[in-house]
Amino acid sequence: MNTGRRERIIDEQQAAAWVEDGMAVAIGDPAPMALVRRIIRRGVRNLTLVASGFALDMLIAAGCVRQTVSYYAGGGPGVPVLPSFRRAAERGEIEVWECEEGILCAGLQAAAQMLPFMPWRAGVGTALPQVNPDLKVFRDPIRGEELIAVPPIKPDLTLLHAAAADAYGNVRHLGGPGWLDLFQYRAADRTIVQVEQVIANEEIRADPWATTIAAADAIVRAPFGAHPFYSRGFYITDGAHLRAYLQAAEQAAGGERAALEEYLDRYCRAPEGLAAYLEAVGIKRLLELHEY
Amino acid sequence: MAGEYGVQELMAVLLARDLNDGELLRVGVAMPVAEAAVRLAHLTHGPNMELVFLGARMNVADLETIPMPAFGWDRRVVRWAESYSDTGHRFDRLKDWSNHVFFIGGIQVDPFGNTNLIGIGPDYRRLKFRGPGSVGTPSLSTHVGRYYIVLNSHSPRLLVERCDYISAYGWGTGGADARRKLGLPGGGPKYVVTPLCVMDFEEETRRMRLCSLHPGVRAATVRESTGFELVIPPSVPITEPPSAEELRVLRARVDVASRLRR
Repeated sequence: MNTGRRERIIDEQQAAAWVEDGMAVAIGDPAPMALVRRIIRRGVRNLTLVASGFALDMLIAAGCVRQTVSYYAGGGPGVPVLPSFRRAAERGEIEVWECEEGILCAGLQAAAQMLPFMPWRAGVGTALPQVNPDLKVFRDPIRGEELIAVPPIKPDLTLLHAAAADAYGNVRHLGGPGWLDLFQYRAADRTIVQVEQVIANEEIRADPWATTIAAADAIVRAPFGAHPFYSRGFYITDGAHLRAYLQAAEQAAGGERAALEEYLDRYCRAPEGLAAYLEAVGIKRLLELHEY
Repeated sequence: MAGEYGVQELMAVLLARDLNDGELLRVGVAMPVAEAAVRLAHLTHGPNMELVFLGARMNVADLETIPMPAFGWDRRVVRWAESYSDTGHRFDRLKDWSNHVFFIGGIQVDPFGNTNLIGIGPDYRRLKFRGPGSVGTPSLSTHVGRYYIVLNSHSPRLLVERCDYISAYGWGTGGADARRKLGLPGGGPKYVVTPLCVMDFEEETRRMRLCSLHPGVRAATVRESTGFELVIPPSVPITEPPSAEELRVLRARVDVASRLRR
């Protein structure tokens, strides 16, 4: 007889061990930085990364990425393109699977529903099908319109950040998931969600409608785990920290890697875990970010 | 006339004038002129406009000030949101997007309003400049009722004969039916607004045409600063400068941090 329901809480190290060289990994919004830093610390290589934004840039900077599936790699004011992404793409060190928001949604949906493709209209008339030959222009059999067939985008693993979860993988967001999170979850073979808090199963049962992801494969406790990004209801983005990273990444793109290596060492490679990372950031800074 | 004003203030004011009450206005990251324009329109003549920024949908016409977010990742914008469109599918209900308006930038823009955010260089595998990527601009430009191309500079490197890569389709290779032929439901780009002038698209050819010159700018300067042959009508009006009231609302209630004057 087996009467014990399996608990799904694992720690950061165990979670990072799920990520293997060459996997397709999707990263949600806000990026689950506690897990991202562990991936960098492990030195995983050749990932296909379904991600946009700073986490993408950091993983490229750390040499973990072979291919990107990204709709946007802008760096904020004064930094039109994220520096590590830009340099690696220009030098051919990474492959870019050119897409955009709608195409990305369509591909993730095709994966979730085991379809060979999802049709999408946007991109017709553009260079997207030329620079990304996986996108096929076709004539639809119903109305004869020209559309784009978007093949499945299937992550082996999706990594997300959320407010809370119980031990059985029932996840709850405060203020809703990131706009692509659920697409990435539905498309992936497995999903790990890092959360600000682990809550009781009774709390989940008290309001099952509030459950945003049912049965995530694993849950990682990660208070402040999205830093330097925001976590809705908990803390806001640490703009100064992001700017410091960007500056280091820009220097590295210009050929001077010292500051970037120092950043990666200090925040990703040296800390043994999330607590050590948060100590490196400092309690004073973290508490300032509670000002919503 | 309202004395001194910055050219970005002028751009925001004239975009605001073209927006209608009841429209839903989508602004992406890193577009301060457009951010200011939709807020200004909302306060001056658009109490039923809906502003969407990073998925947060808001109507804030009752606020005394509607400051612009400090940067793209400033999630505090959601403090005003009435709903967060992204909890469902960002592209649900595309059927209703004819009432939506959006604003687009680019690293290249061609005579037919096609734009490029992918990159510059003949070899896609070794771009000379790798752009940030298309964001949602292909989907938005395909479906919204109309959109505005907003550029922070006006140069032959930006306004080019041909985009190396088209990421958002404007009027293709021209012709009034260019979009209909491809089955694109949206109305396409209406105006191109730069620090020098406003341009629209000639009705028949859909080629870019000089529409009005900002005060103090000569047509010859625009011609020299554009990398393709612009349609220049025999008589080109001067862009109507901001009124004292437009500037007052813009500065006191929208651009309180003076971002457009820097």
